Amino acid sequence: MHSNDAQMLVLTVLADRPLHGYAINAAIEQLTGSRLGPGSLYGALSRLETRELIEPVEGAGEAAERHRTMQITAAGRDVLRAELQQMARVSAAGLRALGATPT
Amino acid sequence: MSAATLLARLYPPAVRERWGVDISREVTAAGIRSWPDTLAGAVRLWLQPSAWGDNRSGQTRQVLTVMLFAVVAATVLALRTVTPSTALTADIGHPATSLWLVPLLAGVALGAPLPRPRPASLRRLAVVAARTLAAPTVAVGLLLAAAWSGIAEHVTGPADLALVGYYWATLAFLAVRCCTLVARVSAATVLPSTRRLSVALPLFGLGLAMAAGQSLLAGGRTGLHPGGLAVTAVLAVLAATTVIAGHDLRRGQRTAD
Repeated sequence: MHSNDAQMLVLTVLADRPLHGYAINAAIEQLTGSRLGPGSLYGALSRLETRELIEPVEGAGEAAERHRTMQITAAGRDVLRAELQQMARVSAAGLRALGATPT
Repeated sequence: MSAATLLARLYPPAVRERWGVDISREVTAAGIRSWPDTLAGAVRLWLQPSAWGDNRSGQTRQVLTVMLFAVVAATVLALRTVTPSTALTADIGHPATSLWLVPLLAGVALGAPLPRPRPASLRRLAVVAARTLAAPTVAVGLLLAAAWSGIAEHVTGPADLALVGYYWATLAFLAVRCCTLVARVSAATVLPSTRRLSVALPLFGLGLAMAAGQSLLAGGRTGLHPGGLAVTAVLAVLAATTVIAGHDLRRGQRTAD
């Protein structure tokens, strides 16, 4: 999977609630029907954290220190919103061209 | 060590520290089919140092400096397999075929850690260097003793193979210990800045690309043989690695500025 696609999926599931790595992949599987490979998932998490679009949840307990729980930041929400709005425009244009109506 | 732990260890240190446990757990759960993606993810991150996420701590600079010297060591070993070569020379008598050395050496000079001009730091540097290079120095000494004694000219069969194996094992051991030395001396030296590394890596890559191009051109004229082609491919891969990593570092630097 393209790294940007993986980053969008991670941001999307984190927009709902903070999750740790394994739970993020479970949520992505629920959303798309397939899990991300470990390289795609943790590459996306590392890139998003570096860009400060996600951050670790402070004081999430001892277990969370081994499995870091991440949450989306305000900047992450802005990026996700902009990307989803653009995708929605593309999707609407595509469906119009196909003569279909959005569901 | 399990395959999952081994795969997690292939990631850059900063990523491994934050996500190593989770990567290992995910690989264990997903099984063998997740190995290619895990491996590809590690390669992508090594080529993207700006995504490691530890730019302030200096760990990225240390890891990249060691990475540069690991590429230098791999280059020296690859070139040793085709020495002597008329396509890739290293003397001022043949400037056209030695030009590749200029950007390559400039890259090494820019990316080298510099000793701190303080007696305590210099003493520490000398102690670390002596400890790290003692064993390979002995190995090289034994190799030279074997060469000067003339044994190499008289042995045949398995003994000859063993001697050739010892020669390459010694070179590889020396290369690994030199990289270890670069990793260990960081406290006693001034590491190159991110900006310097972002120039050093592409410069070194340019030298490697020139060497690969020259080797390919010469092969095209005189006929390619598998050994020469393999070395050209290795040089090209190393060139791409350093250029891509350097480009990403410069892009990350611009974003940070």
